[in-house]
Amino acid sequence: MGGYRVLPFARRELRSAFESPVAYVAIALFVLVLPALFFFLGYPVGRVPLPGLWEGGQASLIVLFHWLPLLLALVVPALTMGAWSEERRSGTEELLLTYPVRTGAIVLGKFLGAWVLTLLMVSLAVLSAAVTVDQLGSLDWNKVWVGLAGAALLAAAYVSISQFVSSLSAEQLVAFLMGALLLGLFWALPLFVRIFPGDMASILNASSPTPHFLGAFAQGVIDLRDVAYFGLVTGAGLLCSTLSIESRRWR
Amino acid sequence: MTEAMIQAEGLSKSFGAVHAVQGVSFGVARGELVGFLGPNGAGKSTTMKMLTGSLLPDAGRATVAGTPLNGRAIGARAAVGYLPEHTPLYREMRVHRYLDFVGQVHGMGRRARREAFARVVDACDLEGYTERRIHTLSKGYRQRVGLAQALFADPEVLILDEPTSGLDPGEIVRIRDLVVRLARSKTIMLSTHVLPEVEEVCHRVLIIAGGRLVADGSIGELSEGVAAAISVTVVAEEGALLQWLRDVPGATAARIVARGDHGRLRALVEVDDRFNVAERVSRLLHDKGLAVLELRHEVPTLERVFLERTRPAVSLDPSTEVSA
Repeated sequence: MGGYRVLPFARRELRSAFESPVAYVAIALFVLVLPALFFFLGYPVGRVPLPGLWEGGQASLIVLFHWLPLLLALVVPALTMGAWSEERRSGTEELLLTYPVRTGAIVLGKFLGAWVLTLLMVSLAVLSAAVTVDQLGSLDWNKVWVGLAGAALLAAAYVSISQFVSSLSAEQLVAFLMGALLLGLFWALPLFVRIFPGDMASILNASSPTPHFLGAFAQGVIDLRDVAYFGLVTGAGLLCSTLSIESRRWR
Repeated sequence: MTEAMIQAEGLSKSFGAVHAVQGVSFGVARGELVGFLGPNGAGKSTTMKMLTGSLLPDAGRATVAGTPLNGRAIGARAAVGYLPEHTPLYREMRVHRYLDFVGQVHGMGRRARREAFARVVDACDLEGYTERRIHTLSKGYRQRVGLAQALFADPEVLILDEPTSGLDPGEIVRIRDLVVRLARSKTIMLSTHVLPEVEEVCHRVLIIAGGRLVADGSIGELSEGVAAAISVTVVAEEGALLQWLRDVPGATAARIVARGDHGRLRALVEVDDRFNVAERVSRLLHDKGLAVLELRHEVPTLERVFLERTRPAVSLDPSTEVSA
């Protein structure tokens, strides 16, 4: 028996990302744009705008972490838009469904490949900024590592949702737009919760990944409720992708 | 009784209101090379997809190597090598990486993959092309890579959906030779539109039309059911020609099978071979002042079997609308 081979799909996903220019462009943009926003612009979104590093003069990555949910909401769909839509468009999905592996294993493999790629990108941007800040002042590295761990969980949730969206369309562009729109909406929910009544506002706020990342992880604190939230969202995305791909056998 | 490696029992599949496959049943014995024929849209690819597990039937059951194919049918899927129509491949990958990936997906260890690689590169004549990216290969070589992936895990059953489609004559011969070589050790189901190819290599033929299996047998068996016929090529008015042919003693049916330039028509006349119908047709057309461009006895080829089984005949009954 078996059929739980995950790693071949993870390796193929990772390798194929580097065989197209999309990954290089996305990573280059991310690694350039995120530190630039952090150093020079600050975070002018929400009720309490945060100043840039030069202006604020604090040896902390908090502003950089504030940008992560929004930037990842744009970049992750770009990295994952082809995960399933390209398989479907090119017909390779049909072959995948004939191989002696479980659909869940393929979904998990593809997820791992894209997640590792996203982690590389985020780590590169965060650590390069952290090293620079550490030269300028005394940086609390514990907060950096906790923030990175939170970013890894945030990225997992985003990758899993974006790959599910990719499984719904044969067009990469449609998958990108739908994914970015969905993640953008999730990101923006806390900005609009004030217009909803109390309970509804709490539920909407709790359903957005932004407060789960910025509330504790970005401050250097691990809250198990946030870990559970990201685990739940990631698991739900993987399950939806599996059901979506498995349903192709019935289409 | 010979063991059935592929068994279809009442397979049906609909896409919305379209009944793509309706109650198709057949078996393919171990070691058989079966040609699967049908017009475009007849349900060939849908049937093949159901035999590989990529599509599940609405009704009926498909079994490969004794294991039913369903969503959890890992074992049955391991027994099948499949080359889908249009040969979908990861075009950005290098050939050797792609084949290695296929081996990993099948759970083969490093050594088994190395041996399988050497075997399929040799079988599919890919030597010298394994470092190339797939998108840089010609269509013929991409087809070989598609076959190589189907063969990589050394499956007992091969299902090949139009493996020679769009290839030049040289490539067609090479792929056909490869299929014949593979048939010595494997059970193969081959779909194609190239009928001479089937006549040359297949032990048995299945014909599907309108989603239903309309013929199942050896070419010899199927040919027996085809009436003797003559074909005549002439420049004439279509309606009048069919009317005249209808009146020839011994003719049992007639239809136009081809229309050429300048009013040239080719009519197929089914005959009762107790009569020398060809001579009568020749005399008739001469009397009508028509130049006969060709007149010949039609042997019951697979093409005629195919046309008979997949297209309704135009009878000589004058009330029947003439069509070809």
